[in-house]
Amino acid sequence: MMAKRSSNNTTFMHLSMLGGVLLTLLPWSPTLALLQPHWAAMMIAYWSLNAANSRVMYVAFAYGLLLDVLMGALLGKHGMSLVALSFLVTKSAKKLRMTSFWQLLMMVLVWLFNDIVIRAAIDWVSYRYQPELIDLLPLLTAALIWPWLKYLMDRTQTSMRLS
Amino acid sequence: MDNLQSNQKITRSPLFKFLMLEFICLVLMISDKNNRVAQPIRDTLSLAAIPLIKIVEWPQELYQIAEIAVSRQARLIEENNDLKERLLDAELKVQQNISLSAENQRLRELLNASQNSPLTTSVAFVSNITQTQNKQQIIIDQGSSDGLFVGQAVLNLAGVIGQVDVLGRDFAHIILITDTSHAIPVEVLRTGLRTIAYGRGDHVFLAEIPTSANIESGDVLVTSGFGGRFPRGLQLAEVDDVSVSPERTFKTAKAIPFAQLNRLTEVFLVWPDQVAVIDASSPQDATVNDQLIEAGTASTTANQTNSEGNNDG
Repeated sequence: MMAKRSSNNTTFMHLSMLGGVLLTLLPWSPTLALLQPHWAAMMIAYWSLNAANSRVMYVAFAYGLLLDVLMGALLGKHGMSLVALSFLVTKSAKKLRMTSFWQLLMMVLVWLFNDIVIRAAIDWVSYRYQPELIDLLPLLTAALIWPWLKYLMDRTQTSMRLS
Repeated sequence: MDNLQSNQKITRSPLFKFLMLEFICLVLMISDKNNRVAQPIRDTLSLAAIPLIKIVEWPQELYQIAEIAVSRQARLIEENNDLKERLLDAELKVQQNISLSAENQRLRELLNASQNSPLTTSVAFVSNITQTQNKQQIIIDQGSSDGLFVGQAVLNLAGVIGQVDVLGRDFAHIILITDTSHAIPVEVLRTGLRTIAYGRGDHVFLAEIPTSANIESGDVLVTSGFGGRFPRGLQLAEVDDVSVSPERTFKTAKAIPFAQLNRLTEVFLVWPDQVAVIDASSPQDATVNDQLIEAGTASTTANQTNSEGNNDG
């Protein structure tokens, strides 16, 4: 019973990660693309918080490499930022489950900001990219989307457990 | 025994995993940046990436098919007429070009200069996929399995658009000429002035023109062929605005690319001609080279004159 449930959960995790990657790839209009949150990072944050298990780090690493190949980035760039994100969340996951909604939202924004900073730093080292304030716009949309994402994923998991 | 247990604890701790994965990422990045050792890993991973690209592309393709099916016949006829007109126009230009190229050839023979060989190109299609990188890149549907290589020049009908930046097995990322990390050697068509065009987001920028140089808005920029990446004489951009740099040491110019870089659907990949391939071949191919030289001295002398001609040009 337990094994089945966890395997169900793993499938759901991979599906949601793939969904996140696909959302990143979808062609939006240029203005919307600027606002596009880092879906994969949000998914990793959710699953690290939910599973509170350092195994999610391997998942973060694998999907990070996949994103690197898809984006033509330096191999390991997304991997590095996602693994760091996963580590930070896993470390404090148990404490954070008890915190209030707003505190959690703030923490998520801090993690995503950290993710953006790591990627900007790698870009700067690899081709002297000059960061701009516009790079922080995805945080705004992430703040709007995170509560709905968490609610939706929690509900899906609950219904899967019940069925 | 005690030692072993503590070891197990260390390898199981999240911090250890974190440091190990970050170290792997760092090694991957360094190897990818410096000497392309990571290319096999990228090729393997790109196999997993292809289904994702296809999933994003399919609905778009379906939409296009549906659009064609639904579009009214009148519109198709209109489009057909328009295309016929353009074809006539193009054929007229080709006829003019035939006499021009014959004349050009005669003049070149008089000057004893090398012949400009026609470009070998192949077509690739652009995948409509968002790139969240802070780089101006597009994805095309051909990769290292089609023989592409990093640094290959990419054109479209309007002019040069960029070069191959990152290679996957079945897709490749093209960096556009307007990207801020891209620079391309150019020549002003009217005066033959050579300089470098740097990408600036939506235009290219000539930052190092001598103050005495003759350049004005409306001048056409073509590739100069320096550096050996882009063939010579491909049109690139039109000078829009000329000014003087803040330190008054150089003239600067802003130029608008001919190609509509945000609306690319198909691109042409340029293949280096056979001569260049033989010249650039590595020492391991020495035997092949020797055989070629033995096979025909005439062809090698032709190669030599060709390369000399290139140096002159």
